[in-house]
Amino acid sequence: MKTFKRLTIPYIVWITLMIVIPMLLIVFYAFTKTGNDVVSIQFTLEHFQKFFTDPDFLRTLWLSLKIAFITTIICILLGYPVAYAISQCDTKTRNLLILLVTLPMWINMLVRTYAWIGILADNGLISHIFNFFGFEPTKLLYTDFSVILGMVYNFIPFMILQIESSLAKMDKSLLDAANDLGCNRMQRFLNITLPLSLPGVITGITLVFLPAVSSFVIPKLMGGGGYMMIGNVIENQFITVGEWNFGSAISMIMAVIIMISMYITRRLDKGDDGARIRKGGR
Amino acid sequence: MEMEKNKLIQFKNIVKDFDGQLVLKGINLDIYENEFVTLLGPSGCGKTTLLRILGGFLDVTEGQVIFDGEDIADLPPYKRELNTVFQKYALFPHMNVYDNIAFGLKIKKMSKDVIEQKVMKMLKLINLEGFEDKDVTLLSGGQQQRIAIARALVNEPKVLLLDEPLAALDLKLRKEMQYELKKIQQEVGITFIYVTHDQEEALTMSDKIVVMKDGEIQQVGTPTDIYNEPENCYVARFIGESNIIPGIMLEDYKVRFDDIDFDCVDFGFKKNEPVDVVIRPEDLDIVKEEEGKMTGVVKSVLFKGVHYEIMVETVPGTTVSVDMQVTQEHDISSSDASEKISANDFYVDIKDMEELNDAEIIARADAQAWSTENDEYISISKIEYDIKEEIGTYPVTFSTSNGTSVTINVFVVKQQYVENPKANEAIAAFNFFKTVDEIKESAALDTDLKTWANAQSWKLSDESDVEISNVEYDFDPDTITAGTYKVTFSTQGREFKIHTTDIAEEGAEVGLSFFPEDIHVMSKIGF
Repeated sequence: MKTFKRLTIPYIVWITLMIVIPMLLIVFYAFTKTGNDVVSIQFTLEHFQKFFTDPDFLRTLWLSLKIAFITTIICILLGYPVAYAISQCDTKTRNLLILLVTLPMWINMLVRTYAWIGILADNGLISHIFNFFGFEPTKLLYTDFSVILGMVYNFIPFMILQIESSLAKMDKSLLDAANDLGCNRMQRFLNITLPLSLPGVITGITLVFLPAVSSFVIPKLMGGGGYMMIGNVIENQFITVGEWNFGSAISMIMAVIIMISMYITRRLDKGDDGARIRKGGR
Repeated sequence: MEMEKNKLIQFKNIVKDFDGQLVLKGINLDIYENEFVTLLGPSGCGKTTLLRILGGFLDVTEGQVIFDGEDIADLPPYKRELNTVFQKYALFPHMNVYDNIAFGLKIKKMSKDVIEQKVMKMLKLINLEGFEDKDVTLLSGGQQQRIAIARALVNEPKVLLLDEPLAALDLKLRKEMQYELKKIQQEVGITFIYVTHDQEEALTMSDKIVVMKDGEIQQVGTPTDIYNEPENCYVARFIGESNIIPGIMLEDYKVRFDDIDFDCVDFGFKKNEPVDVVIRPEDLDIVKEEEGKMTGVVKSVLFKGVHYEIMVETVPGTTVSVDMQVTQEHDISSSDASEKISANDFYVDIKDMEELNDAEIIARADAQAWSTENDEYISISKIEYDIKEEIGTYPVTFSTSNGTSVTINVFVVKQQYVENPKANEAIAAFNFFKTVDEIKESAALDTDLKTWANAQSWKLSDESDVEISNVEYDFDPDTITAGTYKVTFSTQGREFKIHTTDIAEEGAEVGLSFFPEDIHVMSKIGF
């Protein structure tokens, strides 16, 4: 067995070079003054101070969290029924449906998002249909709505796949047992199916919330040039403004927020556990 | 006496069809209150299907299920007054022991303190007090099993269905749980319907056993009835070990088997009706040769812990010997030596002459032709023969398209066979010819010898096949040289299995003794 351990060496070298060192650099940049040279390194907290005292940045942060949260909720509400329906099908249909769910992911995300622009634009498909039926044309593109739509569209497959696999893994005899013990379909779903599929939902949340909160391509395309989410701010600092130190600091703040939100989600899962034990113990 | 008890469940002509496959073929069965009923049978006999129909998880194709006087065909599982213990327990992994057991009561919206009282009572019944906060996934198989039982019983069903509940437990635990289950059933006083393929489990726990096979009920009765008076040889074989001997019921209280007439206690058969006779191994005693009702030779003695299992052969098998003539290579080369051809002489029964066509002759003579360069087979293009339907020797010539040929002899004979009326058997085989290489290359020599000699054995009464269980020969296949050898084929004789605490010597001549009531006569079942 020992010999196989050596196979991990290339991977360890790779992640050290490409992930660990860059992350250390980000930390380093975030805590040092702009314009350092090799000889004099000055540590500072001014970038963090700048971020938390500027209401514009805080508003952007709030918007990002709000949009990601709404996206995640919509993904759960739309994805769960779809996943449930898929898990009820026989294997052949299931495989086909899962293929259909993953199919859009085969196409580049930019291309897919551009297609939505064509559909939602002021003279796009939907506004034509609205016109045809005599409705007032509504502004659809470059709104919160279009950003959320773009995100849900892009991230919902992750949610569906996670929930579906946790439903499919479930022991079917548990459902028989629930029926046997007096559950009708609804009670069976609420007492057995739903709680047992929660781990899938939690993973789904992580897989949707994280990319949503830090996305910068979708807000840029679907929200228009002035639409700023935290990802766009970071991108600007690095590419347009050239403030690498400030950009790094925002990245770190984001990282901390993401870690906290993951911790809370995990606790939600476990919290259910804790309540149960207390109840059982009376 | 049973008539006075209340019929709780009635299966009326239940038929179940899965995509054209009949799994249940008209089951009629009454189950009473307070009974421990076991559905016993091998896998695929329909026992689990019947249980799932009663549980409401499957619909019937035909027939009625009456529960407490009402047809429950359209009643969903959650409205039926019965609960199930599933094969793999099916405990809810996201709930602790307490919540698992309380589940059914919570669904019925009982008050908290009633639930608590009932769950605690159940935990006491299954001997797991203090386990209420434990995670069910961390418990042992036996504990999980008991919780599954408690979870079902706490709902106070009229009937508890158990689908092979002990199958996943190890032997020692299984025995403990058998005892415990019976105890629980007696304590709560409801009907248990238990599905198993384990006959010992069925005999230990049941008040009533239902033996099933291929979707049909073979016998219903108490464990003692089923063991002592099996209705047919299937039941006899499935429940415990037995000696099953074909016989003839001469008249009431008189049965003949192995050419001896015996007194018995069975009656009500037709005169001279063919029957199966069952004698349990523990009912047979070994006595001195002159005192036995039958005599035989001790074939083997095995110590089984408490008793010896002794096999005694009372009727030897039927035997036939043939000559095998072994020759060296006899292939014939073509003039330019580019190909070779070979074939054997063979014997054929005059009765089998009609079957003798070109293909059959090539097969029986094992005629082959091949290229010497690349060893590839060449087809035999011409067969010349003139075989008459008379006893005699006839030449047969095989040739390839290049003209390479070989001539062999076919001996048309009247087949001799050995009859053994005592065992109701006959056996026949032919002399045959083989080469040294063919014997050395044989991967399964016994089977090949049977094929080459065309050895067959059959019952004298109905000509059905009898297995030839022994092939003996006087040569070593690895070092065989040309010559004539004897090959002997024989069938298994009549052997009796005896369980006794007395020991006997292997090879000894002994007598077998038993009482008339130890003979159980059963009508034959058609297969």
